[in-house]
Amino acid sequence: MARYELDDDGVVVIIGSGAGGGTLANELAQRGVEVVLLEAGKHLTAEDFVNDEWGGYEMLSWLDKRTASGSWRVAKDHPTAPSWHCKVVGGTSVHWSACCYRFIEDDFRARTVYGDIPGTTLIDWPLTLAEIEPWYDRAEAKMGVTGTNGLPPLPPNNNYKVMRAGAAALGLTVSTGRHAINSIPYDGRPATIQDGFTITGDKVGSRWSTLNVEIPRGLATGKLELRPESRAVRIEHDAAGKASAVVYVDAAGVTHRQKARAVVLAGNCVETPRLLLHSASARFPNGLANGWGHVGRHYLRHIVQTVWSLFDKPVNMHRGELMAGLVTDYVRHDPSRGFAGGYLIELNSMGLPTTAAFLDPGWWGRDFVSVIEQYRNMAGIFMTGEDMPQADNRVTLTDELDAYGVPVANIHYDDHPNDLKMRSHGYKSLTAIHKAAGAKRSIEAPSYPASHNLGSCRMAQRAEDGVVDGYGRAFEVPNLFIADGSNFASGGAANPTLTIVALAMRQAEFMAEQMAAGAL
Amino acid sequence: MSAPPIAHKDPKMPPPIALPEGADWAGALGVFSPGVAETLLVAARTLYPHDGLPERVYRRVVAHLDRMAAASPLAAQGFAEFVDLLDGAFPLPFIELSEGFRVQVLKRVEASAPFRLVQRSTVRFLYDDIEVWEAFGYEGAAVHLGGYVNRGFDDLDWLPEPPAPAV
Repeated sequence: MARYELDDDGVVVIIGSGAGGGTLANELAQRGVEVVLLEAGKHLTAEDFVNDEWGGYEMLSWLDKRTASGSWRVAKDHPTAPSWHCKVVGGTSVHWSACCYRFIEDDFRARTVYGDIPGTTLIDWPLTLAEIEPWYDRAEAKMGVTGTNGLPPLPPNNNYKVMRAGAAALGLTVSTGRHAINSIPYDGRPATIQDGFTITGDKVGSRWSTLNVEIPRGLATGKLELRPESRAVRIEHDAAGKASAVVYVDAAGVTHRQKARAVVLAGNCVETPRLLLHSASARFPNGLANGWGHVGRHYLRHIVQTVWSLFDKPVNMHRGELMAGLVTDYVRHDPSRGFAGGYLIELNSMGLPTTAAFLDPGWWGRDFVSVIEQYRNMAGIFMTGEDMPQADNRVTLTDELDAYGVPVANIHYDDHPNDLKMRSHGYKSLTAIHKAAGAKRSIEAPSYPASHNLGSCRMAQRAEDGVVDGYGRAFEVPNLFIADGSNFASGGAANPTLTIVALAMRQAEFMAEQMAAGAL
Repeated sequence: MSAPPIAHKDPKMPPPIALPEGADWAGALGVFSPGVAETLLVAARTLYPHDGLPERVYRRVVAHLDRMAAASPLAAQGFAEFVDLLDGAFPLPFIELSEGFRVQVLKRVEASAPFRLVQRSTVRFLYDDIEVWEAFGYEGAAVHLGGYVNRGFDDLDWLPEPPAPAV
């Protein structure tokens, strides 16, 4: 591993080592760029991980306090933990379920396709599907996505058999989908043993993550230095208004200042705007890169929800990969449904501990126990769909300071009428599939803490519409970049990670070219 | 001879809290008085009345709440307020009420922060208990047993077999 001095101003400093930051770090290092990667969490290994839902949650999650407001149900159910992502080397790629779906062409033209929807702040992306397609190809090869590059899809599991029977009876298009989980050995990683604990760290290593693929390869170049347990608290700029250093606190509580040639934020959709807002200065009184006031705004979290159904016979949904099922019939924008945007239907499985916790978080009594006692006979089906950007759905700073002296973030989210229409439509679709497979009873579970966090520092064609351009470069600070899902211009329907990785790979090439040209 | 257990905890996770079998079980707790412990036990059983589960499962939940109280003064205060709310809601102590009245009392305090603390914490620990996993068919940790790839991940046989996926 490389070692850089704190006053070495030739390094790119990346804050956050997840799908965006970890990928970018490796891609830059492969191109010979010197990188310091700051990660707030610990450097854990497969040995550390556990096959235990709560044990894994407590080991990996970002548990620092946040607050929530607005009409979303999450504010009531999870008022101090409205967003769910990780604090560990590898970030949320250590936890994710590895669904890898490309955005479709219309996703990049949301404003044009959906029209002027009152109350929304829709824009088109500053790039097209054609521009990102080659990067999707490379991302899929890098990640070993099933159903691409000759890799077989994951095999049908019990929960899929239920979904498949119902979807086929309704004439829907159903498959096990695409995942960055090896169905056969690939790229030095083994095939899945169907243990069902992808979300607690994946002890087997059959799933791509930046922890087990990108970061080790980046370190092997001798160009990348990883600093775990390094909590960024502020970004500084020079007299010219360029980002010049990142102030961070190490595990011992000692504050350091790492100088930088360029700074990249990749701390997920709450921490990235939080850091920018907290880095206000005389020159940037509303926060760094916030000249147009968009930092923290247009926060998205997808229309994510699950239906859990009871059957007469055992399902044992916990056995095997959690989300290996896909129905694509609702992904396209179809105004005849009465709402804008689309959604994907996927499989969902949880163990008993989290099924009980998230089935309906305030529910108790004899009806609840009559359902949860039938856990063995329960199947899960899930959707992820596009929610509407709204200016006041946003991350802001509160008056309360955390242990590092940084204000605690609040996430405000009001459901847009379009969101509620899609939710209702989605619950009906999910329930219909299970009913067609013989479900006795279906439970419409609310959203759990948001895991598809997007849009809070969005990219735009014009500076007045967003925070960064199509390469994730801040309009206002030319050597400041964003590499996580907060740079999405709109949400699309698909799980965001594949797009985050593709954008980070494209960004790495751009940054390396700019550096080679002396422009960065 | 009984069937071998189906439920497994990850070997790295701590074992279940050991408590005395007898009526003086609450004496083993660190913070809660026996009266508080019994009230929380009856509350947990009223919230999640699994008639087939033994008393010791609910006692272990109370032992976890006791550990929370020992670790956090805020939690300790919440549990104390919860017990006061329940005992102050009716002319009889909560643990002496019939199930119907206990449910009424809990519904009356449902919107309060102490109720939320107790209800969420009870779910957290009750359904994480390996004896509950065993009862409801959750098999738990799998890597140390080779995953489910050869242990039934696709053994559902009461629906049509899906066609083999195409590459």
